[in-house]
Amino acid sequence: MTNQQSQPTQNAVEQSREPDLAIDAENVTVTYDDGTEAVRGVSLRVENGEFFGFLGSNGAGKTTTIKSLVTLLDPTHGSVRINGYDAATDPQMVRRSIGYMPQETSIDRELTPRENLRLACTLYGVPAEQRTDRIEALLDLVDLQDVADTRAETFSGGMKKRLDAATALVHRPPVVFLDEPTTGLDPEARLRLWDYFDRINEQGTTVFLTTQYLKEADRLCDRLSLLHDGQVVETGSPAALKSEFGADVFEITLANPVEKQIERGVGAIRRIDALGNPTIQTTDDGIIVRSQRVRTAASELFAALDDVGVSVRDFDVRSPTLDDVFLSLLDDSSGDGNRTETDRASLATQEMST
Amino acid sequence: MTDHSDEHRAADTTRKAPGNSTTADVRISFKRWLVKNVRNPYVVFTSLVQPVIFFILFVEVFGAIADGALAGVFGSDISYVTYLSPAIIIMSTLSSAATSGIGLVDDMEAGMFDKMRVSPMSNSAMLFGKVLSEVTRIVAQTLLILLLGYLLLAVKHGVAFDQYLRTGVAGLIGVVLVTVIFGGVFMAYSNIVALVSRDQEATILFANLLTFPLLFISSAFLPLSTLPEWIQTLAVLNPITYGVDAVRAVMLGENLMTVIDVTAFSGIWNTVVPAVGVLVAYAALLGTVAIRLLRRASKRAVQ
Repeated sequence: MTNQQSQPTQNAVEQSREPDLAIDAENVTVTYDDGTEAVRGVSLRVENGEFFGFLGSNGAGKTTTIKSLVTLLDPTHGSVRINGYDAATDPQMVRRSIGYMPQETSIDRELTPRENLRLACTLYGVPAEQRTDRIEALLDLVDLQDVADTRAETFSGGMKKRLDAATALVHRPPVVFLDEPTTGLDPEARLRLWDYFDRINEQGTTVFLTTQYLKEADRLCDRLSLLHDGQVVETGSPAALKSEFGADVFEITLANPVEKQIERGVGAIRRIDALGNPTIQTTDDGIIVRSQRVRTAASELFAALDDVGVSVRDFDVRSPTLDDVFLSLLDDSSGDGNRTETDRASLATQEMST
Repeated sequence: MTDHSDEHRAADTTRKAPGNSTTADVRISFKRWLVKNVRNPYVVFTSLVQPVIFFILFVEVFGAIADGALAGVFGSDISYVTYLSPAIIIMSTLSSAATSGIGLVDDMEAGMFDKMRVSPMSNSAMLFGKVLSEVTRIVAQTLLILLLGYLLLAVKHGVAFDQYLRTGVAGLIGVVLVTVIFGGVFMAYSNIVALVSRDQEATILFANLLTFPLLFISSAFLPLSTLPEWIQTLAVLNPITYGVDAVRAVMLGENLMTVIDVTAFSGIWNTVVPAVGVLVAYAALLGTVAIRLLRRASKRAVQ
């Protein structure tokens, strides 16, 4: 509708406050017409060249946030600047400087990979003489050379996603947005995609990725924000977040899980200094202990239970998951036990479905 | 590959895609939909096979009895093949146009719609290119049906082409133009259904639900004067009546308007002018609604 070519480049450069930031979102709030607050005051600052993760469960507001970053919707409040261009006043410049891979696989299934890439090239006005080279390079990048002339309708989910990612890169955007690119893929396809995303980032492209998998964020991202209920609850490197919030989990099933036995067990565990300051939770058939030091203190724990005459039927130690990080963050921020229980339930359901 | 990486490393935030002129955008979208249409077996079937089957079956099954009805209305100089050609043309246009919304819903469901919106391509160019590809499809099938009609007539009665399309090349262009305008009415209708329902099955359902009965409540298959009164009454509102009457008038070179009596012009123009007027009005009305809905769907405000 607007003629993009008439907009002078200088104009946009002059406007830019901080040319270093690939993504600069401030206090983005999105309220739907029915009153639902999907995103509540999200602020993000992503440096050029970073691999940034946006981690949250279903319905946390990830897609709504990404849509307001890529000019698909105007936030109710707040501002978005991408590569120095204001998304509200200069959406065309933002569009020309980003690549976007929506959550739904957005390739034309009736076209072949080569044709899909050619279509994307023409959409972005890639000069005709550069198209062939660029298409071949991208087909190499995502390993689709062998099927480059086969219609995409027969492809597996992973192949479609790889093609989709490639089409988002034809114009060599400095920033690329990937909305849950691996959701619903099998582990092998997921691993492969991770590899391509790494390569894209190594080539200098800033990557903004939303995901519901802690493992994925952990493997790929330099930094990440945890999104819950439309708000960023924490931002940091994956390692820092895990060590800060993700205590190991020790689940104990008692041989005779009556109330008195459980109480006695909890009392004994509380007295173990080696556990530091554990979070202790009781269940119908036992006790769950969360602590950074639960692995090293395991033998003391069994001994302590034995001392008070509580016998253990079964136990399980596991590393922190996204759930645990979320739960401990929620415990910290809200201190509202009921809410935590509901969230636990919703996270559990989500785990099942993925 | 190396070249690719190097350029990426030299990345700076001012790097951006050049984008296209609006005409180039239209051409890109047009080409994409044309390729998709040609590759879609359903499209090829409804455009090229279905009209042939219907045409031959209708002529064979109804031809014998219809000639009597036609003789009563037109005298004896018109064959059912000639009479039916406009109906088959309009019917095929209808089945093509009424499924126009499916591609749109498909793009929305597949994320292509959002992907295009995030690209520098203009939304109107995207839409216009798609409409052009559908117009191309309609023109192609119309020409095919005209050819088939002539062949049927030549085989059955051995008549010359100017006996079939009596207004010659001007008439041929006229038939195509009327068909395209008529197609616009139902393209708009289909896209309205698509944009409201956002569902492929609903779009197909509503295409068949409305269009099939409409064909019978019109002058398509038999002269209106031979049909029950309630059909004659409803036919006045039916765009198909105007489409069929206009094409038929152009083909036969006669004033054949069946539902409204206009005498302000001369000869076939007494049919063509009011019929095209009604079709343009329908297309403009539904088109406005469709464009408004499309704007709402692609607007950046929160819904």
